[in-house]
Amino acid sequence: MTESWGRFKSFEGMTFKKLDAKFTKKVSELIGGQDLTACFQCAKCSGGCPVSDKVNIQIHEVMRMLLFGLEEVLETDMIWLCTTCYTCQERCPQGIDITDILFGLKNMAYRKGIAPPGYVAAAQGLYNNGRLYEPTDWEREDLELDDVPEFDINDVKKLLDKTRLLKLQEEE
Amino acid sequence: MNKTYEVFLGCAIPNRFNNYESSMRAVAEALDIKLLDFDGATCCGTVVLKSIDEYSWLSMSGRNIALAEKRGHDIVTPCNGCFGSLKDVDHVLHTEEEQRKAVNEVLKELGLEYTGKSKIRHFVEVLYDLKDEIASKIVKPLEGLKVAFHPGCHLLRPSKVAGFDDPELPSKVDELIELTGAKSIPWNLKLRCCGSPLLIASEDVATRILKEKLADAKASGANCVVTNCPACHTQYDVQALGLTDENGESLELPALFVTQILGLAMGLDEERLGLELDRISLDPVSDILGI
Repeated sequence: MTESWGRFKSFEGMTFKKLDAKFTKKVSELIGGQDLTACFQCAKCSGGCPVSDKVNIQIHEVMRMLLFGLEEVLETDMIWLCTTCYTCQERCPQGIDITDILFGLKNMAYRKGIAPPGYVAAAQGLYNNGRLYEPTDWEREDLELDDVPEFDINDVKKLLDKTRLLKLQEEE
Repeated sequence: MNKTYEVFLGCAIPNRFNNYESSMRAVAEALDIKLLDFDGATCCGTVVLKSIDEYSWLSMSGRNIALAEKRGHDIVTPCNGCFGSLKDVDHVLHTEEEQRKAVNEVLKELGLEYTGKSKIRHFVEVLYDLKDEIASKIVKPLEGLKVAFHPGCHLLRPSKVAGFDDPELPSKVDELIELTGAKSIPWNLKLRCCGSPLLIASEDVATRILKEKLADAKASGANCVVTNCPACHTQYDVQALGLTDENGESLELPALFVTQILGLAMGLDEERLGLELDRISLDPVSDILGI
């Protein structure tokens, strides 16, 4: 089992204080959350998941926690170790947009400050530079490629100010 | 069939796979595909920004789409990450009125509007349209090249968004690869994610996935890996450097872009295919490639 991410290591000996129906409802209102409650725990999602054997809590268990209204789900390693490969979503016999729901859960966790540090740095980088990586000019010159088209960084800042990207963790 | 597009390069290609762009442009020219500069393009946001905040991601990709739309052009990208992100945003903005309103609220301040007129395509989709023409241009068959083709996730899934190929049994890019005389071999983990998106959260888990993939490709008899995505290629041509299995055996396999092998087989100018920038040694297949 990986020790690389997540505070929630196992269900063993775990007690939950609250089954929060409001949390389930909130998740079902996320992009892709509309069919959440159709999950009948066949675990086909975990069967095709590339990290099922590398996480403490597998994706079908995440789905169960969501139906039980357990907000502790945000602390499981599955949330941030999802590769976003969409195999679970593609194969779900109930048509649940599982991967998209996970993105919404990542958004919730991020706001609570539960996120790998690389994501916080990426948010700042996107705001400052408008891209995740800078062009390697010597390679482009060698291959006689033109410069990468320009953009106005102020447009990016205006856009991300409006969506409050750098304030998300302050609002929670 | 449309052959004029604004080309969305994304961030990873100009950063570390300029040979992918260069070989794509060489192949495009040979097939009379016109690639226009995408002025004002920023990062699409990709799954990174979608993970942080969907509103920011929808707005960032939405802005890029709206730019091409304003100029009346369709979009092509050679990157699965950009393709997935732009297509996914296009899908959400098409189907969810509330989200579209919220994004257009942001775009209004930049003098832009998303209405969804521009089509978004992956470069391999455009190549597939032209497969007969490609077949007629093969002059240097790559007999003996046994390709473990890695399609990557976002080219195929979710299929209702990507809309390109069968998500469980894809064959279109394999067909293109086999036009070169190479063989696209079957391998068990072909459709599995390469692990690249996890490099930001856990390099350890990303590398474990990569090792599984490479071990399977080797066991299946491949002598190279071919991709159509710079994010996946980061795993195979950067992270794989020096990688060994538990017995200390090298897991390295030559990694090529689909445009590089098409370019070689079409007899295009080798300088433009940028093979010297490939990090994993191509020596094991250099005779087959004729380099």
